[in-house]
Order: sequence, then C-alpha cells, then structure tokens
Amino acid sequence: MVSEDPWKKLVDGMIDSVVKLPLIARGAESELHLGAYGGIKAVFKYRRPKPYMDPRLDAMLRRSRTVKEAKVLLHAFSEGVSVPRLLAVYPTLYLLVMEYVEGPRMKEVLEGHVDTSKACSLAKSAAAILAKLHLIGIAHGDPTTSNFIVSPRGLVLIDFGLAEYTSDIEDYAVDIHLFRRASLSTHAAISGILTDCFTRGYREQMGNEADPILRRAEEIELRGRYVEERRTVWGAGR
Amino acid sequence: MVNAATRSSSANNEPVIVLGIESTAHTFAVGIVSSEPPYILADSRRQYVPKEGGILPREVASFFSQVAGEVVREALHQAGISAGDLSAIAVALGPGMGPALRVGATVARALAHYFHKPLVSVNHAVAHVEIARFLTGLLDPVVLYVSGGNTTVLSFRAGRYRVFGETLDISLGNMLDTFARETGLGPPYVVGGEHVIDRCSRGGEFISGFPYVVKGQDVSYSGLLTAALRAYRKGLEPLKNVCYTLREIGFSSVVEVTERCLAHVGKRQVVLTGGVAANDELNRKLEIMAQVHGARFKRIPKKYAGDNGVMIALTGLLSYMSSYNIIEPHRAFIRQRWRVDRVNIPWYPKTLGRSL
Repeated sequence: MVSEDPWKKLVDGMIDSVVKLPLIARGAESELHLGAYGGIKAVFKYRRPKPYMDPRLDAMLRRSRTVKEAKVLLHAFSEGVSVPRLLAVYPTLYLLVMEYVEGPRMKEVLEGHVDTSKACSLAKSAAAILAKLHLIGIAHGDPTTSNFIVSPRGLVLIDFGLAEYTSDIEDYAVDIHLFRRASLSTHAAISGILTDCFTRGYREQMGNEADPILRRAEEIELRGRYVEERRTVWGAGR
Repeated sequence: MVNAATRSSSANNEPVIVLGIESTAHTFAVGIVSSEPPYILADSRRQYVPKEGGILPREVASFFSQVAGEVVREALHQAGISAGDLSAIAVALGPGMGPALRVGATVARALAHYFHKPLVSVNHAVAHVEIARFLTGLLDPVVLYVSGGNTTVLSFRAGRYRVFGETLDISLGNMLDTFARETGLGPPYVVGGEHVIDRCSRGGEFISGFPYVVKGQDVSYSGLLTAALRAYRKGLEPLKNVCYTLREIGFSSVVEVTERCLAHVGKRQVVLTGGVAANDELNRKLEIMAQVHGARFKRIPKKYAGDNGVMIALTGLLSYMSSYNIIEPHRAFIRQRWRVDRVNIPWYPKTLGRSL
C-alpha cells in the first residue's frame, strides 16, 4: 500500500516541515520559505501542486521546471555569474534549496532616494550579469528589477523559473527588452538613465557580439503589442 | 446637435437606448440595451455555419447581407420600439474579417444617417470584457478572453484594458476546431451545447510527449496541434486520449498565464469571456485557480459567451454616455486589426446599473 511506503512518509514529512517555515514570497508558481540547510541560511523554493491540472501533467511540469532551474543555477554559478548558490535539489519533491541572499530588491532601491550615479551603476551591473548569462547560452526569461538583489557582495540575479538554454539571439534580446520595459513601467522618472547605462554595461561585458542582440531588442520593441505597453507608461500621466 | 439633444433627454430620467450591431466573424447580431432595467431589451442573431471546412469571409458577408434586414427588424420588434426611439446606434468596427465587418458598418451607417442618430464605434474585444463585467458584477477583474480568433489575458490599468499575455500563434478556439476538422469530428464543432473535443475527451487518459508551451505570460499552440495530429495519424493511441491531452494542455496553459497575471497585478477577481467561455471544463479550471489565490470567479451565461449584439449595444451605451468614440457616419471605417489596448475606457470601473 502506498500509505505504508516509507519513502513517501519521509517525503511528506519533509514538505510538511518546509511549508511550516516562514513564508517570504509567493508567486504564481512557487513559494519561498526561509530556513537553514547544513548550517547555512537558506531559501526553500517549493512548487505547490496546481489543482486545476491533470495530476500527471502537473507533476511533469513541476518536476521539469525544478530540474531545469537547478541545472541553470548550478551552471551559471560555476561560470562565475552572480546567482545564488544551489544547496540541494529534490526533483521528486519539487523542491530547491538555495543560499539566502541578504538585501533589498533593486526595484526597492530604485524606488527610494537614489542618486543617478548609483542608479547607473546598478543598471550596468545588471547588464553585466545578463551578458555573462547569455555568453554561456542561458536566457533568464524574467529579468525585471524585482529579480535583482542588492546584496553586500554585489548585485545577484534570482528566480530562474522561466530560464531557457538557448542559442537564439531572439531570447537574449527578449531579456534586454524585458529589463527596459520594466525600467519604463516601474521607474519611469529615471528610465532614461537606467536603459542607457544598461545598454553600455551590456556592450562592455559582451563586446561586439552585443550589437546584433541590441538591434534585435529594438525590433522587438517595435512589434505591436510591446509598443502599446510602452504607451501605458506615457499615457498614465495624462 | 443630435448628440446633445439625446443626452439631455437622459437627464430628464428618460432611458438612453442603444442598438448595437455585431458582424466581426460568423455571427450577425443586433442587441438593444437600455440604461434602465431590465437593461437588455432585445437580442437577435444569426450564425453562419459552413456545410464543410472553415469559414470563408466572402460567403459570410453574403450571408450577412441576406439576414441583416430581418435581424434588425426582429430586434426592434422584441424591444417593442421603433428606430426613432433609439438614442444611438453602436457598431463593432473591429477587429475582425473585413468583408464581414463591412456589412455591419454599412447597416449602421445607413441607420444612423437615415434616422439622424449618433453613431458609436465599438471595439469587439472591449465589448466581450464589458458584457462579462456587467453580467458577473465583478467590476475589476483579470479577464481571460478566448474565442476562435483570440486568446488574450487582459486587465485594466492606466485607462485601458492592457494585454498581459496572449497566444504567440493560433488561438485556443482555432486549435480545438482545427483538430476537430482534421480528424473528422466536426464541423459542426459544437453539438448540444458541447464542443466535439469535450465529447471526444470523455474517459480519455493523459499521454506524455505533447509540448506544453508557456513563455513568460504568453502561450503557444501550434506545436501542440501538430503533435496531436501526428499522434492521431500514427493511430497508436485511442482518439479519446489524444483529445483529452490536447484539451488538458490547451486549457491548463491558458489558465496558468491567467494565474501569472493575477499574481502580477494583485487583483482579486477573474472572469472568462469569448466563445470558448461556454466551455464547462475551462470554467472549472479557472474557478479552482481563482480559489487557490483567494480570488472570486463567476461564469457568464453561455448565451453571452460568444459573439452577440447585446455586448456591442452595452459597450456602445457606456461609450455614448461617456461621450467617447461618437463618430460621423462617413468616418465609420472598419478596423480589421484594431487592438484592444488602443481604446480608452473612460467609464471604468462603472458598468450599467451600477452607479452609472
């Protein structure tokens, strides 16, 4: 009988204790709990079941996303990209354990009183991290200012739930576009500085290979839907 | 001016009555809506159903021209009014198929001109959102709009309905219909109020290997359709399993992007609208998703899920009372690719009968 399966009992016990840890964030597809792992302050990222899906589809998706996020984190970290250190992954539990990165989100820092040179250096660091990630063949998929932590050891990129291994410059360009769009919608007053410094930082890190990617990002902005979204911001003040 | 006269009469507690014309796709419909209860005075429609294959715009337009007169007359008869009693004429000028749109636009121009009524231009997608808000009473929702031509997640922000996610290729309704057509399950695609894919899915099992594509807040269906058709042609899996898996992935992915939008914008209401909103299984999934996030979900009556004239009249009425998008008949050009996020919504978050 399944109920007597000692492995299942162990697994259920583990998830039970994880979800009892303090919740620090809840997104559409996962929740983050704060705890400790091997003496290190750690974040437990747990993908809850989605009760509206067929259980087989749900399990398949949660498992593949957990595994992919772990692979990307491990790979990026080993290549020197500034991402949280992966401590453990339990694909069958849909659970990742990462080192806790201390500090406010870049979004919060930019929303506070921040001078232009600080804003510029943050944007440049963000661009450098993304460029490094792209150079090893990974697109992040959601690089908004909420997903960069301003930590004592510098800027750290988090949340690789939508990351992809890819060699298509379209995917890299989408990352750049998403960062720019987030700058426009969330930090309209300093968006010019942010996007300029971001572009400079990206080019400095990547070199000549940056040009076709930056050009593609411009193209993406001109595609209907995104132009409309940009108007969201400009229209807001009228 | 006709406009000024009509709106001043509304100040004298006379109801404002708008006739709305829908002709963007396969349905020619006329609705009549009043600013006072019972609000919906008439709902007349004719749907073009091809004997086989898909919908040819030219044939639709020819069908529309034949039925337009009787549909308008029928609506006025249902409402028990004559055209002279109307405050305004509203028409969906897009988005949709050119030849079909031209019939509705021509009828609307003629009515407005002949009876000296103001003409209100309505965006078809906005109308789907407005009918859902009006009928569910959920006034500030995240909206999933799914039909034969659309798969879009919308929500109001900074004056307009913004697109938070959409399909990168074909629409959900198109995918279901195309699969049904290629496998001989349809047309007709809806039998006894149920889509043939739902019927075919009954007792089906989930099979692995079909692509589930969610990119950020967007979905993609063309790969799923191809995989399902390939599995059907190989004939190794019972058709019910293929139908079930196609539907399960198609619906789950669109519910997931709606979920992402809900988490992102932080709203507490979810509605479903458009032709596919008549589907029980999709409603069930959205309801469960809403529950998980502590959000309210209410389904709209099946009758008003698909294209209808009432939603055009309703939106026309809201727009007219906001003095928005009132146009001269000779400027009533159709707009085949009129994007939903190009339209201002000055009446938001109000709707008819709720503090308007």
